[in-house]
Amino acid sequence: MKIDSELIKKVAQNARLKLTPAEIKTFTKDFADILEAFKKLDKLKTSGEPVLAQPITKKNVLREDIPKKCLSQQEALKNTKHKQDGYFRGPRAV
Amino acid sequence: MKFKTDEVIGLEVHVELNTLTKLFCSCPTRGSSEPNTLTCDVCLGLPGSKPVLNKKAVDYALRLCMALNSDIDKELIFSRKTYFYPDMSKNYQITQYDRPIGVGGHLQLPDGTKIGLERVHIEEDPAALMHPGGMHKSNSVLVDYNRSGRPLLEIVTKPEITSAAQARDFLKALITVLQYLQIFDISDGTIKADANVSIKASGYTRAEIKNISGFKEIEKALMYELLRQKEALLQGQKIVQQTRSWDSETGITQSLRTKESEDDYGYILDPDLTITELTDDWQKTIKETLPELHHDREKRYKKEFNLSSDDAKVLTQDYNLSEFFEKLTKEVDPILAAKWARRELARVLNYNKLDFSDIKFDHTHFSKLLILLEQKKITETVAQKILEQLVVKPFDVEHYVQKHGLKMVSDSNQLELWAAKAIDDNPKTVEEYAKGKEQAFNFLMGQVMRQSKGAASPQEVRQILKKLLK
Amino acid sequence: MKMRIDEYIEKVQNGKVDMVLKTKKVLAEIKKINKEYHYFNVICEDLALEQAKTLKKNAKSKRLAGLFISVKDCINVKDVESTAGSRILKGYKPLFNATAVQRVIDEGAIIIGKTSQDEFGFGSFATNVGLGYKTPLNPVDKKRVCGGSSGGSGGISKLASFEHVSLGESTGGSIVAPASFCGVIGFCPTYGRVSRYGLIDYGNSLDKIGAMGTNPEAVALVQEVISGHDQKDSTSLEVPTVDYAEYLEKSIKGFKIGVIEESMGKGVDVQVMEALNQTIKKLEFIGAKVKKISLKQITDYAVPTYYILATTEASTNLAKYCGMRYGAHEKLEGSFNDYFSTVRSKHLGEEAKRRIMLGSFARMAGYRDAYYIKAQQSRQLMVKEYQKAFKDYDLLLCPTMPVIPPTFNEAKKLTPLQNYMMDVMTAGPNLAGLPHASIPLIEHKGLPIGMMFIADQLKEEKLFQLIGALQQDEVQN
Repeated sequence: MKIDSELIKKVAQNARLKLTPAEIKTFTKDFADILEAFKKLDKLKTSGEPVLAQPITKKNVLREDIPKKCLSQQEALKNTKHKQDGYFRGPRAV
Repeated sequence: MKFKTDEVIGLEVHVELNTLTKLFCSCPTRGSSEPNTLTCDVCLGLPGSKPVLNKKAVDYALRLCMALNSDIDKELIFSRKTYFYPDMSKNYQITQYDRPIGVGGHLQLPDGTKIGLERVHIEEDPAALMHPGGMHKSNSVLVDYNRSGRPLLEIVTKPEITSAAQARDFLKALITVLQYLQIFDISDGTIKADANVSIKASGYTRAEIKNISGFKEIEKALMYELLRQKEALLQGQKIVQQTRSWDSETGITQSLRTKESEDDYGYILDPDLTITELTDDWQKTIKETLPELHHDREKRYKKEFNLSSDDAKVLTQDYNLSEFFEKLTKEVDPILAAKWARRELARVLNYNKLDFSDIKFDHTHFSKLLILLEQKKITETVAQKILEQLVVKPFDVEHYVQKHGLKMVSDSNQLELWAAKAIDDNPKTVEEYAKGKEQAFNFLMGQVMRQSKGAASPQEVRQILKKLLK
Repeated sequence: MKMRIDEYIEKVQNGKVDMVLKTKKVLAEIKKINKEYHYFNVICEDLALEQAKTLKKNAKSKRLAGLFISVKDCINVKDVESTAGSRILKGYKPLFNATAVQRVIDEGAIIIGKTSQDEFGFGSFATNVGLGYKTPLNPVDKKRVCGGSSGGSGGISKLASFEHVSLGESTGGSIVAPASFCGVIGFCPTYGRVSRYGLIDYGNSLDKIGAMGTNPEAVALVQEVISGHDQKDSTSLEVPTVDYAEYLEKSIKGFKIGVIEESMGKGVDVQVMEALNQTIKKLEFIGAKVKKISLKQITDYAVPTYYILATTEASTNLAKYCGMRYGAHEKLEGSFNDYFSTVRSKHLGEEAKRRIMLGSFARMAGYRDAYYIKAQQSRQLMVKEYQKAFKDYDLLLCPTMPVIPPTFNEAKKLTPLQNYMMDVMTAGPNLAGLPHASIPLIEHKGLPIGMMFIADQLKEEKLFQLIGALQQDEVQN
């Protein structure tokens, strides 16, 4: 795998980060450094090991279908500056 | 996969389940039209909130998997599908990735065709977006999170649908199953589809049409897209693989700058949620309490009500019609109810270019009408006429009959007066009848019936006319 | 001077302490400390005074009556700005208390403020604070780092002259690291023991809330109060709570303690090695049986495994910060892609960007199997390696940090990878969700050096048993 500025740009775009040329340079170097060190994981034999979301497994955590009180519209919108007529406002969707 | 047909369509259908609460929080799914009044920290994606799974949504997913004969996974596992869009509360959607709850299965269309399925999975609905001034012109969007987090089932078909009409039939059949399972409310639940469409002439290069709402729209969107592809080829253009959006207002599909490709979603297991074992016991309970499906109901109608196979089939194909019929059977003879629910109602709806779902009256109107008919208080002709009016606007049937004097007349004095008038007014016809023309008699019958506005008892009229013409 | 914590709480319960006056003094003290050391992002004066007033009326039977509690910034306190130390959350005032916060409030504790931290927990030194935030300074030497990411919690725990416990949070060592560098007790429970509801996520499968402080009784009491099942967090465990304070009184005679052999090797400061050896002697003196144990896989693979899992989860958790619903907003301009990218680029700090990048990469198609899936499996191997070890041992021991607290200049010179390697001791127990604690046993020229003990899943009480035994030893000497 080649770690170059193209890869960094692709990842940044996917993560919605606009990086400066200096940041791209730094991250390219850091990635190379970090991923080189992490390569040793390849040596670890893991086939057959389960892929689990948590280290301690707990199963069947379910909730009954009973409605509870919601936030008021005012509370829901309390933390945003972008609002209008009871709606949140967001950027253009296209 | 090798395709043969001229048109190849695969559908991804999103169905909103009719649970009371959302998929991962206890906010109601219904009950307010004011924006952002059915929300909490979870469905708004506020920092610190955590999802907790609604058991009912899983129950409902299991029902559908069973009805579609999909293989049910032993465990239910949720993943995060990350992509950025203004309708996303967390910029990731909690959905299922490589372990959907159901794999395979099929849905049978009324004509017997089986459409194969890839998978069924559970996921959360994004928020609703409004575009003041239109999607492409608007500088910003308005977001309503009331919808955010409602439970959806996604049903993905194999690319086995061979026409736009069949796609519509598929959706219709799916809705019927969902209704029988009582997991979908057609009156306010939404059903949406994305479609993969390709044609033989292009070597089956696929276009994906996003965001088609409702089963009437799907046929339109697919017809448009199939035509577009064919015409593009005729004009020497190349069909390219792309994503297009369906605009129901303008009735066209438009190329969409892709938001993200499947590669970019970067699925991970949702670490806030744990594994749900879909145990044998759980599945057994669901199976045992599965509501009656239409094939079972069809059989029951034949056995319990002695309906013909054809009547039983037609009456059960539409869930609402079937429910309507069930209610009628409690009040009137099932055979009579079947005849009227299936044939007469269908005729009137057809004439008015309406669907069963469009009618405004309920079963009480209809059963009153049939009771009057059953008790010979009105004639069939009158009943038909009343039905025609009912479809336009519901009213009190008994009152209407009274008001318009439509009660069946079998009083022989009155009938003789009408018959005599018919004979007097049509001497030529009487002459023809005397020469042996049966049709002439029918004409005179008609004249009497007309004078009675259809309320005369046909048997009595026949007897009286025969007597007078002797 | 501080009295015994149970005596203090009893006095408050009986209304023998003027809590408003006391709270005012406490607020004045922490304001003064904060000016010099930057341990608080927010001091919630109004809330604290209001709670003090309420306490006047109903302190009876409140188990934490009058105890002052500082809360790591990433743990939500209702109506108090909670930003996880990030400018992208500037202005966010939670609508609810985190469950842990609610539980201490319900027991009569007084919340004094939100403590400073590495942005979203992304650091081992508390030097990666968010844009516009001040870096906390080591309480014993201002030229040195506090340790992170719960740096503010560590610092204030050390300097508070009043009855205080801090709620810290650990993803890969963020409670024990600052505890070690600041010379306080840092306690991290089993994953799922304390509800994460209301915790601003870093790595959801790793995040744990725990108590930090200098007083073992207070730490034990708070840890017990915040533990227990919570329906609002699906990963919260349904296990009964334990009276930890009771275990502080018990002897550890016969305890089998395994010293992790690999922690005695290269890359560990000599002072730290020396401290470890002294600790072993001390443990043997108070009746423990100490033996070496090799945990090779864990030591080798914990850091890469941890960074892959933590950053993949973080990269999805932080996706929601885009300037729409809370936190930093910009003028709505351009398409959503432009707008989101602008907000995120402008308000996230460098390490946050780096970890988002790393995590996004590790779950991207084409790399996902080699990194994300591999790391998930690697974690399961570690869980097994620990399980095996706990068949023979009550506790495992290693230094909390491989180094003594570095100066800011020294820390600055480290590359990101060298920074990540600082978690070599702490990544393991955090990955496996095991309870662990850093205990301040030794000092080197006044600089604290913490020792970390790890217990098996849900065996928190053994750690308290040890803390208690070591403390009694201190008292006797």
